[in-house]
Amino acid sequence: MKPLMLQGHERAITQIKYNREGDLLFSVAKDSKPNVWWSLNGERLGTFNGHGGVVWCLDVDWQTINLITGGGDSSCRLWDLETGKNIATIKSNSSVRTVNFSFSAYQAAYTTDKAMGHPCEVFIVDTRTVDESISGQAPILKWEITDSKVTSMVWGNLDETIITGHEAGDIIQWDLRTGKKIHSIKEHTHQINDMQLSRDGTMFITASKDQTAKLFDTSSLELLKEYKTERPVNSAALSPILDHVVLGGGQDAMDVTTTSTRQGKFDARFFHLVFEEEFGRVKGHFGPINSLAFHPDGKSYASGGEDGYVRVQSFDQSYFDYTFDYNRE
Amino acid sequence: MPVADEIQSSWADEVEIDQGALPPPSEVVENGLKIVTEYKYDNDNKKVKIVRTYKIEKRVVSKSIAKRKTWSKFGDSASDKPGPNPATTMVSEDVFMQFITSKEESTRPDDGELDGLKPQASSVIFKCRTCQGEHWTLSCPFKNTQLAQAKASEAAKTADAKGGASSTNKYVAPFMRDGGAGRGMGREPPGARRDDIAAIRISNLSNFAIEADLEDLVKGFGPLQKLYLAKEKSTGQCKGFAYVHFKFKPDAAKAIQTLNGYGYDHLILNVEWSKPPQN
Repeated sequence: MKPLMLQGHERAITQIKYNREGDLLFSVAKDSKPNVWWSLNGERLGTFNGHGGVVWCLDVDWQTINLITGGGDSSCRLWDLETGKNIATIKSNSSVRTVNFSFSAYQAAYTTDKAMGHPCEVFIVDTRTVDESISGQAPILKWEITDSKVTSMVWGNLDETIITGHEAGDIIQWDLRTGKKIHSIKEHTHQINDMQLSRDGTMFITASKDQTAKLFDTSSLELLKEYKTERPVNSAALSPILDHVVLGGGQDAMDVTTTSTRQGKFDARFFHLVFEEEFGRVKGHFGPINSLAFHPDGKSYASGGEDGYVRVQSFDQSYFDYTFDYNRE
Repeated sequence: MPVADEIQSSWADEVEIDQGALPPPSEVVENGLKIVTEYKYDNDNKKVKIVRTYKIEKRVVSKSIAKRKTWSKFGDSASDKPGPNPATTMVSEDVFMQFITSKEESTRPDDGELDGLKPQASSVIFKCRTCQGEHWTLSCPFKNTQLAQAKASEAAKTADAKGGASSTNKYVAPFMRDGGAGRGMGREPPGARRDDIAAIRISNLSNFAIEADLEDLVKGFGPLQKLYLAKEKSTGQCKGFAYVHFKFKPDAAKAIQTLNGYGYDHLILNVEWSKPPQN
């Protein structure tokens, strides 16, 4: 299939996400304007103007009413999706690295960077009524992270826990009633760039700079599977309909000229969920892939790259027909 | 006789005037296709006509999605017309998933390409002219000995027979060096794709053939890797030929043998090995 190329950003894409029904695709980049697109034809619905710098992260609630973004201008912004208006702004002390709505969208969690004399902190805020009053509200819960900072985060089941991935490779599960650690593991040796839940939320996949992606159980943090590559992994996503995993990454920009001349470092790589074996690649980007997302119907996926493009790629019939050779050797 | 009041402008003037104005853009909607025609100047100041063809589709979706479809655009897109704006949405070249069937690809060392460029094993580039030893001719131990001269010329002969390339310091393209030849089955010419090996071309297909027909036709011969049926862009009808990539070459050979000359849908099929692109 011919992929759609969405060129709404001037700089590298930092994160992309679909809404729950998959009709809208959101993208944020190192420029200050988050974009929203119709995923079907790539038409741009609008941009959210208001941030004053790089936007690191975004999340959309399950009813597709509000969007939340966090950025380097030390703010978290809530947007009305129908009009694109900025309805609330939460100021923080340092740049906001990750932000996520809970499943119910009654709460949102965000984390800030350790910078400018401020520690890395996790905040849980109430988002039941979204208006300007939210900026004056005290967070429901906040706690400080003393060791390496949080680089990715997901909500656990039933909105009872959150799981954070850290710069040093740790993964920590936090109890939201107390703000205390439940589980802490260190399966990665380098920064965790991305974490994404499976469709039913029982598993999540991490993408790490240590050139692997790993699959964990959401409640026990037990390591289930490991997918190895030979380059840093920036993002990983789980197919909602098939036992497939897609990994995206590539060298850091500074390494591009010094390592291999071989092309194919920037393609999306498909692995089998269970066998941990790679079976396919899709080329396209001119730079490392920074974020990947499967369409909720599993029939297409989108990738956002360092080259500033978002590519929406529908799968051909050959992808659905492909079966793994169980009996080889 | 009255002279015409208006002096007709000469054709040369008209051309000049015409230079400035571009024909207005047009938009035609007919039988499910929207055709947008625009004119603009390219970098060389030449007039360019751009024709974009969109297919209009109707889809049945849930209420919430349908409601969102009525939202008006906002932000930087507020002034965009309905439909994708070509400035932000582009359709790029076809990209197909490459299926990886063998493991060798992933186990190959990362910097394979660079190895060929590294200095060859014998790093000595100078050689004694009399005895082929690794020293200057001047300091040859066999210098001035008649016996050694004969031996040296013999040695030179054998060295030449072994393959002049390695003993001379002539330039050798990286891929022809030992480092390059060691990898797999050598280099293919640029443009050759490895998966062409088990690919066959079926031509003289009926216009009404669809992919499912084709699959039924060939899947009996063995596992397929890829199947491509050439179709007319606008009508979706078959153009009359197709390419089938088998996983294994013997299957492909069998398919050619059986299907070539086979009567299919009142046409006689022509099946042959797929040739690599000529350019």
